[in-house]
Amino acid sequence: MASSRIRRTLTAASAAAMLSMLAACSQAAAAAPQDDDTIVYAHQQEPQCLFGGWIEQAYISYQFLDNLFSLDENGEAVPWLAEDWSRSEDGLTYTIDLQSGVSFTDGTPVDAEAVAYNFDYWVAGGNSTAQVWLGGYYESAEAIDDLTVEVHLSRPYTRFIENLTQSYFGIQSQHALETRTDEENCRAPIGSGAFVVDEWNRGENVILTRNDDYTSPPANARHDGPAYVKTIDWRFIPEGITRVSALKAGEADAIYDIPAVEWADVDEGGYELHKYVTPGRPQQVSFNTTRAPFDEEDVRKAFILSLDRKKIVEAVGYGVIPYEGNGAISRATPGYDEGAAERYAFDPDEANALLDAAGWDERDEQGYRVRDGERLEAVFPYDAGTIINADGASIFQAVQEQARETGFKVDLIPVAASDTWSGAYSTPDSYDLKAGYWTSVNAGILYINWRQSTEDNPNFANSAFYDDPELESIIEQANSAGDIDDQNALYGEAQEYIADHATSFGLYDRLSTLGVSPRLAGVWQEHAQGGPTFYDAHFVD
Amino acid sequence: MTLTSSTERRASERVGRAVRGGRRLALRVIGAVVVLWGAATAAFLAQIALPGDRATAIFNIRAGQAQERTPEELAPIVDAFGLDDPVLLQYLHYIGGLLRGDLGTSYQQFRPVWDLIGEQLAATLTLTLAGIVLSWILMVAWVTLTAGRGGRFRNVGAAVDTIAAALPPYWLGILLLLVFALWLGWFPVMGGSGLIGILLPALTLAIPLAGFMGQSVRAEYEHTLDQPFVLSARMRGMGDLSVRLRHVLRHASLPAVTLTGWALGATISGAVIVEQIYSRPGIGKTLVSAVGAQDLPVVTGVVVLVAALYVVANVLVDIAYTLIDSRLRTS
Repeated sequence: MASSRIRRTLTAASAAAMLSMLAACSQAAAAAPQDDDTIVYAHQQEPQCLFGGWIEQAYISYQFLDNLFSLDENGEAVPWLAEDWSRSEDGLTYTIDLQSGVSFTDGTPVDAEAVAYNFDYWVAGGNSTAQVWLGGYYESAEAIDDLTVEVHLSRPYTRFIENLTQSYFGIQSQHALETRTDEENCRAPIGSGAFVVDEWNRGENVILTRNDDYTSPPANARHDGPAYVKTIDWRFIPEGITRVSALKAGEADAIYDIPAVEWADVDEGGYELHKYVTPGRPQQVSFNTTRAPFDEEDVRKAFILSLDRKKIVEAVGYGVIPYEGNGAISRATPGYDEGAAERYAFDPDEANALLDAAGWDERDEQGYRVRDGERLEAVFPYDAGTIINADGASIFQAVQEQARETGFKVDLIPVAASDTWSGAYSTPDSYDLKAGYWTSVNAGILYINWRQSTEDNPNFANSAFYDDPELESIIEQANSAGDIDDQNALYGEAQEYIADHATSFGLYDRLSTLGVSPRLAGVWQEHAQGGPTFYDAHFVD
Repeated sequence: MTLTSSTERRASERVGRAVRGGRRLALRVIGAVVVLWGAATAAFLAQIALPGDRATAIFNIRAGQAQERTPEELAPIVDAFGLDDPVLLQYLHYIGGLLRGDLGTSYQQFRPVWDLIGEQLAATLTLTLAGIVLSWILMVAWVTLTAGRGGRFRNVGAAVDTIAAALPPYWLGILLLLVFALWLGWFPVMGGSGLIGILLPALTLAIPLAGFMGQSVRAEYEHTLDQPFVLSARMRGMGDLSVRLRHVLRHASLPAVTLTGWALGATISGAVIVEQIYSRPGIGKTLVSAVGAQDLPVVTGVVVLVAALYVVANVLVDIAYTLIDSRLRTS
């Protein structure tokens, strides 16, 4: 009888499977229009914790943490948790006045003590990006009274307040940071924001629910009080084509990062498109200036002159991705220098002449240049999927092709995530060309990327390994310049200096893009990094 | 007297069988432990052998910038996870933890690996079981329909098996997604963990598996169709379909039962791809992201778990075997 028992079980199992499939199908067919209280937003990458120094963390923590200040569309810092601020004569002390009556979502007050605590928390490693921004300038923060914080710097930093608008500087509950486990603070940081983290289904989504008691929107928001929608379903959908299809199918109300090739199509489909050019370091390539062949300035110049960068970016980017000639900062950054951006046009003749003069005057049977039996070769690793997206990879392939014409052999190496993060290609002996961006709200990023590396104070963010006291001094003067025009002139000088010495070249500006369904109104990109803001968002019929 | 001695004989036979059974069970358990230990060791060594520095990876992921780090920056991480201990010590610590049922704590998420896996396991098991059930349905229907039929029919049947078995899951998954979700719109694009979302991912696993099982079942099936007992069943007046399902399938399905045990493991590895394509949560996706993040405790935890599932599946297959083929029970 065993056989009939088995058969019955098999039949029962298959029947159950069939039934569940039928149920699934009918459910799909009968899918009701989406709940008007929930925004389904398809994002790309999922971070390991919801607060941290990575832009993917900044995008989501912006939804549930408030900052002291918010950046408006003109690049001005406007009140958020702070009502006002002032700077001392010597530029070393910032006094920040907080709004009264604001609470974190765990019920503890947003007071001067909590804010001062956050500064020390970031500097101690709580946020590694906030840490590098404050590094070299920050000294201490203290609560003067309940609502007044004083921040002391060791030397003046003119755009200090603007820097505080990036979400790396989101203010968290001191009580939560001190009393909860690392795991809890990783999974659901506590702020005073318009939403709170309700649930994180790893690998799938984060559910953010409205903070009904919200009273502290930034001055550049479009309304007061709690957010309009009850819930944000923040999904993680790595494939660009899937995100776009989800938007078109009405499954998602908003999506992040539209592939350039889909842009026109999404536009014609009647979706609202948002494009934010990220200020700070653009998608640039820096030369390893410590070893051959790029320890010679003329060889670096020859490499840049070999490339028709504008044409490459236009071809790959379908006119959506902006070309960026400046290797230091992007055009969206205050103090951007057009002259530095236009320094190198496509000029293969000049490139060939420079290489011939530098002794790379022979070619091997494959057409690559040779000097003293050495081939003109450059190792170019790029962080595929994590820091460089698919459009970026195509642009690098075109760079490789064009450089071949003048006789460079470029070894383009896609680096997997595990190698990227473990620093597999981060040392002076491991690469010749290094691509990467770094978002910031002002040209202070130059200090992070070009400060000299010393024994006592190494700077591995200087990816050209270019230690130049003169460049560092120009940047430091700029950071501390009291007058904005003087500051911009000095930042301009630094960009010219980088162009003159050809230590890095620009390719394109990093974008933050959003596609939004016509059913959803009031979505905007915050101005410090271009992440979505759902506080003002609401459904329309 | 005869009565007593026969009772005694039966009793001693029972004891003998129990001893043999006990020994077989003990061997099985030892075998399972060796398999698990081997898997755990291999996973650990593979992670240790990865190029690059784990502390740097942990720091860089928290920072979102891939660059070199100073020893001062890395010191707290190295201390927290004992990364500067000798490898042997790290290994003993790890195996010791496994023996206590402790898989360790994720480097990135600061929480026990058990919690992390527990949260993701149900989604993957649902997917793989749905995939296996679907593959059986497809295989039985297709083989019953085509095996032992006239020339062309039969050839087409076998050819489809071969093609299906060779379909690469990534390609198949994208194709199904494009056709049924994007183009026809029958299924959601972002399936997530919902019930509606499972059919296409399960089909992606089921189609190659059905082809693979079909290949091995078909020969046996056709051989069985020629057996005398099939002829006698037909002579008793049984219809063709009923003969095929009741008698032939039972005999011919043994190789597929064996393959199902293997398939449970194979579909879990297949889930790695399927979960990526269909944006489903699950341990496959967890594994990929943990490998990317060099989150060693999570990687080894998932590997050990999959090995454990393999072991359990093989025991289940043995049991199923004895149930289907009663000769195995008496021998």
